[in-house]
Amino acid sequence: MTSSSRPQSALPDPLTLPPVDSDGGARPPRAAHAERRHHVVVRVTHWVNVLALTIMVGSGLRIFNAYPAFARKGETFCCYPFEHRSIPAKLTFGGWLGGARNWHFAMMWLLVVNGFVYLAFIYLHGEWRDLVPRRGIVRDSIEMVKFYVAARKDHPRQGKHNALQRMAYFAMPIVGIAAVITGLAIWKPVQLAPLTDLMGGYVWARYWHFWAMLLLVILTVGHVFMVFAVDPYSIPSMITGGYREDLSPEARNARPFVHLLPRRRE
Amino acid sequence: MSAPRRLPSHIAERAGLDRRRFLAAASGAAGALFLAACDSHGPKKAASLLKYAEHKNEGLERVLFRHTSIDVPPRGALPAGEHFPSYFVSKNVPVWNEAAHGAWRLEVGGMVRKPMQLSLADLAALPRTGYKLDHFCVEGWTAVATRTGVQLADLAKLVGVDPAAKYVDFQSFDDDYHESWDIESAMHPQTLVVYAQDGHYLNAAWGAPARIYSPTKLGYKNTKYLTKVLFMPARNGGYWSDQGYEWYGGV
Repeated sequence: MTSSSRPQSALPDPLTLPPVDSDGGARPPRAAHAERRHHVVVRVTHWVNVLALTIMVGSGLRIFNAYPAFARKGETFCCYPFEHRSIPAKLTFGGWLGGARNWHFAMMWLLVVNGFVYLAFIYLHGEWRDLVPRRGIVRDSIEMVKFYVAARKDHPRQGKHNALQRMAYFAMPIVGIAAVITGLAIWKPVQLAPLTDLMGGYVWARYWHFWAMLLLVILTVGHVFMVFAVDPYSIPSMITGGYREDLSPEARNARPFVHLLPRRRE
Repeated sequence: MSAPRRLPSHIAERAGLDRRRFLAAASGAAGALFLAACDSHGPKKAASLLKYAEHKNEGLERVLFRHTSIDVPPRGALPAGEHFPSYFVSKNVPVWNEAAHGAWRLEVGGMVRKPMQLSLADLAALPRTGYKLDHFCVEGWTAVATRTGVQLADLAKLVGVDPAAKYVDFQSFDDDYHESWDIESAMHPQTLVVYAQDGHYLNAAWGAPARIYSPTKLGYKNTKYLTKVLFMPARNGGYWSDQGYEWYGGV
């Protein structure tokens, strides 16, 4: 083949065009199983969030242990049954109050910036569509729960996430934002007094901050449990991005610790 | 029909792990990572990063700071009264030793035109300001008390502070306890040289004869057992600030 004899053209060489399926549609450039399930921005912000949140919770609990109660001095507090009982030191980070505070007030920026990058990305890139609750989310969630407790035989149909995941992943950033705002209110109760007042004052802002942390921990523990119990194959998808749909919980009909291995096909 | 297609093995299989071993290995790795971090001070290398963050936070806090931001405790908040924790760093409650040092006087000096020595009676004769104020401790607790004293801004006018003074040090006779502040916080209308709490002259536990108090600073910045107010061109740290608590300590 003498390329010099061919007329110069903007058209590509036909050999480099993607092959055409028998039904006439162009094939995607990669095989289906090699498609990235999570964009690199989502993967990076996920793991940065693991680090930031772990340090924020650990150092926050160490700070809390300096006064593990909510009552204003000379008052009692209605709504926390464990007043003046410390959190086990093993669950804390920072070593001492000053150290924990320094970590907390440094890592809050990583948490905020990382959260902002994530939210901006999923908004601009369209991933938010996989996360906002759709009509019927409650019904779909009930179906998921029924399936998990074996009151239903087959895995409900789902898109990227099932209804329970959708709710959890939607709630996570909202609770995160609540944690940041309540945190600001107890960091600057005088300079940002209107914000603190909005939460019922310093004592209550501190209480709501604690609850936001608790909800984040509960969501995270549930998430991690389900990853290992139902879909450990999703771990690589959060590292390399690769995910095999033939190993999805729906394909395996997997509930916690059931059908963890792929079905054998003869 | 052609021969059944063999499904490609999944990652755990390829790594020679069955389900149990995979789960054990994965949770073990995560657990080790977690245990390595917990109840620790964190990596030493992070110290400079934390210092940097503290510096940046101080910048932001100083931008946020307003003299018009006033502390108003919630309407129904009960004064702590006797439940107000006492605090000092000496072995015993510090009490001014009149026999050894003569009558207590507050020295106001440094970058000022007219340095002054004020007795308690002098202080009490100056324009009196009283507020019911929140106290925000670095530990997270809060307490309400009525503080009565002299606005530091009034004292500053009296002694004629040099406009070049950017920092103020509050020194005490509670061993070597002192804390230096930025001048903006010191001139806040709720920053007082306090000599009375809840309507009574301070007792020894609460910092008698006088102390500095402002709701715009965390408790540890508010020097008790005050002896000297020193206007300075540069900061000189403080008892707790030097031990790793943030120097600014703003609320």
